[in-house]
Amino acid sequence: MDSIITTRDLRKSFRSPRGSVDAVRGVSIDVERGEIFGFLGPNGAGKTTCLRMLTTLLPIDGGTAVVAGYDVAAHPEKVRERIGYVSQLGGADDMATGRENLVLQGRLYGADLPTVSARAEVLMGILDLAEFADRKVKTYSGGQRRRLDVALGIVHEPEVLFLDEPSTGLDPQNRANLWDHVRALRDRGTTIFLTTHYLEEADALCDRLVIMDHGEIVIEGTPRDLKRQVSGESVVLSLRNEDGAGARASALLGAQPYVRELSEEGDQVRLYVEDGGAALPQILRLLDADQIGVKSVSLSEPTLDDVFLRQTGRSLRDAGSDDEGRAA
Amino acid sequence: MKTVRDTGLLFHRYTVQMLRNPVWLFVGFSTPILYLVLFTPLLKELPGVRGFPTGGVLQIFLPGILALLAFASGSSAGFGTIFELQSGLIERLRVTPASRFAILFGPLLSGIVTMTVFDTVVVAVGVAFGFHVHWAGLAVLTVLLWLLAILMGAFSTATALVTKEISAFAAIINGINLPILLLAGVLLPISLGPLWLRVLAHVNPLYYLVVAARSLAVGHIATTAVWQAFAVLVPLCVLVLAWATRVFRRAVA
Repeated sequence: MDSIITTRDLRKSFRSPRGSVDAVRGVSIDVERGEIFGFLGPNGAGKTTCLRMLTTLLPIDGGTAVVAGYDVAAHPEKVRERIGYVSQLGGADDMATGRENLVLQGRLYGADLPTVSARAEVLMGILDLAEFADRKVKTYSGGQRRRLDVALGIVHEPEVLFLDEPSTGLDPQNRANLWDHVRALRDRGTTIFLTTHYLEEADALCDRLVIMDHGEIVIEGTPRDLKRQVSGESVVLSLRNEDGAGARASALLGAQPYVRELSEEGDQVRLYVEDGGAALPQILRLLDADQIGVKSVSLSEPTLDDVFLRQTGRSLRDAGSDDEGRAA
Repeated sequence: MKTVRDTGLLFHRYTVQMLRNPVWLFVGFSTPILYLVLFTPLLKELPGVRGFPTGGVLQIFLPGILALLAFASGSSAGFGTIFELQSGLIERLRVTPASRFAILFGPLLSGIVTMTVFDTVVVAVGVAFGFHVHWAGLAVLTVLLWLLAILMGAFSTATALVTKEISAFAAIINGINLPILLLAGVLLPISLGPLWLRVLAHVNPLYYLVVAARSLAVGHIATTAVWQAFAVLVPLCVLVLAWATRVFRRAVA
């Protein structure tokens, strides 16, 4: 296994007037090269704190973290050369142009002016910023600014790019656009590590993710695996209103090994299966063979919220607001 | 080498940034000029008063203004730092391999250059009002002013990083600025005051610079006041720079 980020029992606490707050309590992860890996959790879960330790911004209290081959605590400067980081705030200079921002950033990573100018040109092309390159950043829209932030994070072609809540404040269109860019980066070989409290973002973007709550990892897996663990997928069949169609279908499908649960309500049969994509053709074939008419079929997947709910007893959408802890 | 290069890059960034904000430059220029034009006339009767140093009014007053300018330009550096913390810029710089010292020193250097330009204007205006220039003394004074600006700039920046927000930072900086300025005799020499004030002033680093500045302005270079000022400012500067660099290294931004 080719891990580019490895942490073991990572810990961080903060002093506060009320005493010590354990923001991160023993996080162990392995992120593989070339994947999009996500930290999903409510505000205050410790996601950003973890990320700030991995990016050398925050001293590590306990445990170890190795990023791009170097121990973060022992060789922060080696880690810095190999990673890119886009914070929630961005941090581009408002009064400078996009190009000026990129050139300075590239030069701080040690590149000479011709190299970095060429690189800036390429990046602005890739991230659809070419036509705004020489405008001041203060004139940029939210989406343009976010793409510039990403460009700043990858100007030195890092092995890993850390994104902290990348789509916060973006409208759905810009969010989808940003996701496309992030995927394209991954496809060109950059490992992406992101935090998010948006279920949709984790689901749409991450190859693998962990769910965090109160400074700990609650569960880890691919979005698909995690959701499958909840209850499988649900299939809702609307049958043609023929005599006893519902009962016949229930008897028939209830006997299938891949059907976990089944409920019948008039001419509607709802069943939970392990893998909806695989089960659906078989279900339809069985019904057809038994001459049970089907009006419509819907397949719905459980969301990551169901996963969070099952693991923590709270809904992710509600969690966080009750957290006394500092904003992560 | 890398530190020098990074300092240069950040110096350039801050200087360009400042030149794009001419309002700020205008305010910076007008403050010392206002002092010269509106305050100096009040001092006309002072020469001859017991405790007032020898030399023309401007030889006494102008060095004080230069010290005030250096002190203020340094101690206000942290306001920019607070803004940059909140805009994410500091964090963006800290995650690059750029030298931590350069992240601190680049903007300070830019502030010093600006200050030196202001100083030149102040001296030029002073000459028009009758200030007599002693070039060697002025050169040594310039070095002392740089030291003061670096000292206060590093202190202010580090304080901003530690407090992280404007109200706590402003409370600390304003809280210490006033006693330090009053106790240094920036506008009127401490030597006019009673004994207890003259004794108390000796705990104030700025006092030594102001006294040295007045000595240098009349062309007296090899004086106790001048070497005392260096003896106070150089170690303090090193100490505060080391502390501020450390804060940049560890800062919980």
